[in-house]
Amino acid sequence: MGARSLSLPFELRYTQPLEEAVEEVAQALDGGYGLAPRSIALLLLQGDEATVQRVGARQPEVVRRSRELAQALEAELGQPVALAVAAERYRWSQRVAAAVVQERAARDDTLGERLGRWAMHPWVGLLMVAGVLYALYQFVGLFAAGTVVDWLEETLFENWLTPRVNAAVAELIPWPWLQELFAFDYGLITLGLRYAVAIVLPIVGAFFLFFSILEDSGYLPRLALLLDRLCKRLGLSGRAVIPMVLGVGCGTMATVVTRTLETRRERVIATFLLALGIPCSAQLGVTMALLAQLPWGLVLWGGVVALVFLTAGFLAARLMPGEPPLFFSHIPPMRWPRGKNVLVKTAARMQWYFLEVLPIFLLASVLIWLGRLTGLFELLTGALEPVLAAMGLPAEAAVIFLYGFFRRDYGAAGLYDLADAGLLAPAQLVVAAVTLTLFLPCIAQFGVMWKERGPRVALTITGVVLLVAFGTGWSLHHAITWVGGVF
Amino acid sequence: MRNRNDSRLREEAGRPRPWARPRWARRGRRAGGGACGGTSCGCPGAVGARQAPAGARRVALVGSPNVGKSALFNHLTGAYATVSNYPGTTVEVTRGEGVVEGETVEVIDTPGFYSFLPVTEEERVTRRLLVEERPDLILHVVEAAALDRMLPLTFQLLEAGFPVILVLNMMDECERLGLSVDVDALSARLGIPVVATVAATGQGVDQLKQEVAHGGRSLLESAI
Repeated sequence: MGARSLSLPFELRYTQPLEEAVEEVAQALDGGYGLAPRSIALLLLQGDEATVQRVGARQPEVVRRSRELAQALEAELGQPVALAVAAERYRWSQRVAAAVVQERAARDDTLGERLGRWAMHPWVGLLMVAGVLYALYQFVGLFAAGTVVDWLEETLFENWLTPRVNAAVAELIPWPWLQELFAFDYGLITLGLRYAVAIVLPIVGAFFLFFSILEDSGYLPRLALLLDRLCKRLGLSGRAVIPMVLGVGCGTMATVVTRTLETRRERVIATFLLALGIPCSAQLGVTMALLAQLPWGLVLWGGVVALVFLTAGFLAARLMPGEPPLFFSHIPPMRWPRGKNVLVKTAARMQWYFLEVLPIFLLASVLIWLGRLTGLFELLTGALEPVLAAMGLPAEAAVIFLYGFFRRDYGAAGLYDLADAGLLAPAQLVVAAVTLTLFLPCIAQFGVMWKERGPRVALTITGVVLLVAFGTGWSLHHAITWVGGVF
Repeated sequence: MRNRNDSRLREEAGRPRPWARPRWARRGRRAGGGACGGTSCGCPGAVGARQAPAGARRVALVGSPNVGKSALFNHLTGAYATVSNYPGTTVEVTRGEGVVEGETVEVIDTPGFYSFLPVTEEERVTRRLLVEERPDLILHVVEAAALDRMLPLTFQLLEAGFPVILVLNMMDECERLGLSVDVDALSARLGIPVVATVAATGQGVDQLKQEVAHGGRSLLESAI
């Protein structure tokens, strides 16, 4: 049997003494474990924890025997069983592949391949990152958040829909307290719908389009490889770059994706950094648009957020014990994005986003209405005011932080509104933008943190994030005031 | 390849017939719920996926991250699950309904899976699905250009007793790299159907559907 297995790899007979052990354990198993007995036997011999437990519950003697056999095998083979098994499978694989794969003459590199290599080059790669960020700023920050939002906001809402809704509601509903549910400053239509349709949707749409092109091209894994060394400093592997980049799309989604990280330590650090320093697409777009007229503010905002992000990651990696992770990844080919794929992907993301966002925006409007009606809202904003005052922010800003917890983009949209109304001085705008970026993740992200990492980690992260956000806002306010006083 | 299988069948007289589910496989239970369709975890799952009726054959797409499982899922079901050119996008099981030659089957998209000895959470999700649900057919999706690194999982799936179809995806990339794969020879060597596809364009999907309709082939039910 042993001899035959050499010529017929697909028969999946291992070389001796491995095969003998596999057969013995497989014979002893009485089935009902979901996989074929040989498969279960191999898992037992390789010491797979889950299998050991399942089989141990019904046939503890088989687990004991397989442990003895595994020890004997290890001594005889001079390596762990798992390695021996993997090596054997790899030999079969090599043999089959060698027989069916043919290599033709080497040909010239395509432009895509060269771009792909440049993207991983330490210096050229960083230049490409800068280029990509600049393009993002132009497209999302200036075009979508500027031109498109302005048009929707002014033409569609302010000049057309809002006055009509206000008039109609005033006409139809006699009670002012109920009028406010639908119209005026905080109404369902004039606030919830306006934020969702006129501010968030164009920005998120543009971002998703940009992101879809990037991800379809195969650029992201290269970015992960480029940033691997930086990430190691933060206690993460380059693998963690992908949830981080994804977090710029939506932190909630990205927190779910931290599952692909190998160690618990890595998952907790990544979850923390996502909650703290990664703004989501709508927030990023709105912030870019806000600060577009204030180039120094934009640079300061980016610098401070990046600094906090790196410091927090660095400290978290020092404070959390554990092995530094290894990173290996298969880099997919670089290719030209296909128009149809990109459009379908963008449309699907927007559909999902809108379906998820709109109800929450509307719900938030209702909650705010209720809060105002009962006085709870004033109580909360009142509690926030001293904190805001310490950061040099006006009392009106309390509202946007409350919004921000419902959804980050909702908060950012509120900030946009406030700045639009001329209520914030440039320095205040930067402080508010930085604090809001670092501030709590939205309710959905908090929920996912709770579900994935457990209540203890979720609450700890939230507490730390809150402290860091307000602490940074406070320091920044004082730093700006001091610099302003000196010059 | 037929002959070889048949002769083994004769050798192993008294074993269950190739298409009958062996004793150890009969516990397979249908876990209808539990899988995240997207909104409950805040991630974009499949948009517009219809769920297959109870009793339909279950066909699972399995393979390493980033080989095109979700793109094939979309082709087989006509739904849209997020597809991206980087690993780790699918972290939950996505289900949908597909029709192959008039038969309705349940198509299951699984998170990236390197081996039956899982390292990451996404791999554990897939292994649990394989063990607890015992899909009726596995489409092992591999990147054609990286065949030698991906075949070990094919062996493990066969070893575990699943009927397997090997899907050589990204054939265009393989050709661009100057590699060619002899699909028939590979199928003969492994004794299972092998289909070459380009999921990004849909090339080869019709043939894959035909093979799914014919049920794939399990090597080991006769060999264990």
